[in-house]
Amino acid sequence: MQLRYVFSELGQGLRRNLSMHLAVILTLFVSLTLVGLGVLLNTQADRAAQQWGSELQITAFLCKARDDNPACTSEVTDAQKERIAKVVEENPEVADYRFETKEEAFAKIKELLGADKFEGANPAATADDMPESIWITLKDPDQYQGIESAIVGLDGVSTVRDQRQVVGPVLQGLDVMQKGALLIAAFLVLAALLLVANTIRLAAFARRREIGIMRLVGASSLYITLPFLMEALVTAAISVAIAVGALGAFMWFGVHGRLEDLVGFIPWIGLDEFWVAAVVVAILGPVLTLLPTLVLTRKYLKV
Amino acid sequence: MIRFEKVTKTYPGQGHNALDQVSVDVEKGEFVFLVGSSGSGKSTFLRLVLREYRATSGRVYVAGKEINRLASWKVPRLRRQIGTVFQDFRLLPNKTVSENVAFALQVIGRSRSEISTLVPETLELVGLEGKGDRMPDELSGGEQQRVAIARAFVNRPMILIADEPTGNLDPTTSVGIMKLLDRINRTGTTVLMATHDAGIVDQMRKRVIELDDGRVVRDQAQGIYGFQH
Repeated sequence: MQLRYVFSELGQGLRRNLSMHLAVILTLFVSLTLVGLGVLLNTQADRAAQQWGSELQITAFLCKARDDNPACTSEVTDAQKERIAKVVEENPEVADYRFETKEEAFAKIKELLGADKFEGANPAATADDMPESIWITLKDPDQYQGIESAIVGLDGVSTVRDQRQVVGPVLQGLDVMQKGALLIAAFLVLAALLLVANTIRLAAFARRREIGIMRLVGASSLYITLPFLMEALVTAAISVAIAVGALGAFMWFGVHGRLEDLVGFIPWIGLDEFWVAAVVVAILGPVLTLLPTLVLTRKYLKV
Repeated sequence: MIRFEKVTKTYPGQGHNALDQVSVDVEKGEFVFLVGSSGSGKSTFLRLVLREYRATSGRVYVAGKEINRLASWKVPRLRRQIGTVFQDFRLLPNKTVSENVAFALQVIGRSRSEISTLVPETLELVGLEGKGDRMPDELSGGEQQRVAIARAFVNRPMILIADEPTGNLDPTTSVGIMKLLDRINRTGTTVLMATHDAGIVDQMRKRVIELDDGRVVRDQAQGIYGFQH
């Protein structure tokens, strides 16, 4: 097949409808970026949930000598600890547990806040100010209420902390962002489809003489459609390239540059997840332009 | 070459038939005038041959194939065997004469070397040697129609369809175009020409098929336009 005509038509078509093609590229670029963001946020939410779900721990802080909880009459006793351990051990929801001593807790807080605050004549706190605690790992991250209610009323237990209260807002934030991105993307995809349709109508009108003659002299439908498909493919390729670039920038400057430092306690998405999003965008882009082109050239050109 | 068997064509939403039980047989190498008033069915007849429409009933054979049953993807192959010329020339204004003629070959995938021999050859045949580099709007009406004929004939089709080819031309120029069509006919190409031009029909003395309200009212060898019947 002689493709000289196809390529010269392609160049001409792109120049002739430049503003229209730019509109398609911009709309498609923004919508593809949002779809890609949606994919990234989705995997991010999955990863955070997986991490905090599978490693979900409930921490029960035990009574210390001067406890804020009025139920704690004195520092937790060995008998009370044994009883707590027994309840935890017998609970079917519990996978594992361990006790943390006052000294261990003191060491952790010294590391987090800096050791110098806790030394010298007037330390901020001593090991005796720290509570002992029991760290319980659950079998099923969703089954936490049973064990929580079982230990919360026991003698010697001061407070119970559920880690999910810490991660929950982060997960919810990701969820809202993901849904928002996909919703906006859906509207923009619709706009992009309409723009593609308009572009084809304009191009078909501009080429109506050539198309009429091509049909008359027996050019195949593929040959007549080819310049339209190539135009669609070029605009899609440019949009995909910019969108992947934008996603890359989001990963590098946003996730890697800021979020990882800002919110360090959840595992952030990396290069693998970025490539998945890029592939989704690279497939979606051409599909969004080629499908309407195929349908509409059939309609407008009657090839 | 072209055979209509009891062909009826009704356009959607129209009560009466554009063609009504038309049976016609055109042999290979014939020159046939299709005459009749506007709306008599001439254009419908030509469009059925080109398979732009399908017949509502009856059979249309072109080059030995029943084209009503032809799959859509085979239609381009059929049209490569038919050249078509119109009253309004339909040249591409942004292409030179040579490019206009070459376009018909390019888009059906003929090789560059074939194109470079066929195009000048055909331009010479239609009497436009040396004018290949002109733009269509630099040519007279008669010359433009010659370009259109060259484009229709450059692929050496078996059938040449001409829809009022002299409709926009003065009588002297029309005679030149008719001589050209006659020359093409002598190479063995079947020519089917729809026309209103009585003078030309009378002069040429070829077969005349007259349509009136979708029916064949006359089919006469070596006929004239205004046959009294």
